[in-house]
Amino acid sequence: MTKEDLAIKEGLIKFEDEIAEIFTAGKVPAPIHLSDNNEDQLIEIFKKVDKKDWVFSTHRSHYHALLHGISKEWLREEIIRGNSITVCNPEHHFYSSGIVGGATPIALGVAMGLKRDGAKEHVWVFVGDMAAEGGVYHEAVSYAAKNDLPITFVVEDNGISTNTPTKKAWGESTSAPRIIRYEHKKTKYPHYGSGKWVTFG
Amino acid sequence: MEKMEKKELKYKNELTRATDYLAKNPKTIFLGQSVVYPGNSIFKTLENVPANQKIEMPVFEETQMGMCIGLALAGYIPVSIYPRFNFLLLAMNQLVNHLDKLPVITRGKVRPRVIIRTAIGSERPLFPGVQHSGDYTDAFKALGLTNIDIVRLDEPDQIFVAYKKALERADGKSTVLIEYGDYYNEK
Repeated sequence: MTKEDLAIKEGLIKFEDEIAEIFTAGKVPAPIHLSDNNEDQLIEIFKKVDKKDWVFSTHRSHYHALLHGISKEWLREEIIRGNSITVCNPEHHFYSSGIVGGATPIALGVAMGLKRDGAKEHVWVFVGDMAAEGGVYHEAVSYAAKNDLPITFVVEDNGISTNTPTKKAWGESTSAPRIIRYEHKKTKYPHYGSGKWVTFG
Repeated sequence: MEKMEKKELKYKNELTRATDYLAKNPKTIFLGQSVVYPGNSIFKTLENVPANQKIEMPVFEETQMGMCIGLALAGYIPVSIYPRFNFLLLAMNQLVNHLDKLPVITRGKVRPRVIIRTAIGSERPLFPGVQHSGDYTDAFKALGLTNIDIVRLDEPDQIFVAYKKALERADGKSTVLIEYGDYYNEK
């Protein structure tokens, strides 16, 4: 890490510690979700994120917001106002959602819009390891790849979703899934009905 | 010999006229199943929409709704199409928790405007089954959504007015427009 990186890291940790103190003092009328020990990874990821890019975060968004250029003062006020789980700052193209994986398809839509416009901005969407097992996440990843959309998915794997161990909940067997897939692409019938005009009566 | 009176059917024509009106705004994008490829009654009302304003979607209703919110954030006016009301139920997470709540969360700074079009499945002459014929209008209204209007289109005269309002409304609200499959052939 460079000296500059270390200063950013110290700033992140100091901010969260300060929020923890304010929360402990009973001055935040809503839940908060603090980050810790992922500063190095995020500092590296955000070196690739342009200030004009769109960032979609989770209920645990303080580090993402700060690294995307949102001021500590604004963020602190927003948290004290009770909005930690849904920090949104449209001027900075920053959105987060308190619904697990909820921001993912929204991010996908922004990426589609940017591509249609020929814009240079990129979309970054952060999800936890539980959300990354979910259906919407897989749909979004698949659609983005197959349509070459300007979006990057970042999975933040802390092994738990609230207090549920992700791997324990999903199961840990490494057996290959049993799937049978066969092709039948020619049929004489349409999607429904017989393909012939019918008179009822 | 008694002359047979031919009833003038306006419902489908009005849906087509209203859809054409929406499509004149270059920022509108029509997304859903059977938007580009034929397969349901709604498709016929989209035939005049320019090809570059139509996107055929996979069957992923929740993701489709989320994408439409994202498109709205990016400056578009998405028209998100669900051919049956029962299918729209699968998109409720995005509709309730994000489309309706983003204006609240951002204290009005962001008002993603999405036009949602769905249909109560036609029951005549074939009953499509209980999973394809639901009318959840009252249930949607009972959700207490503050940024989404729920409009059931019972009569042809309502249609153009409702579509125009959905497109041009100054309050930035989204609109769910609910049509009846049976009325394509009855009104």
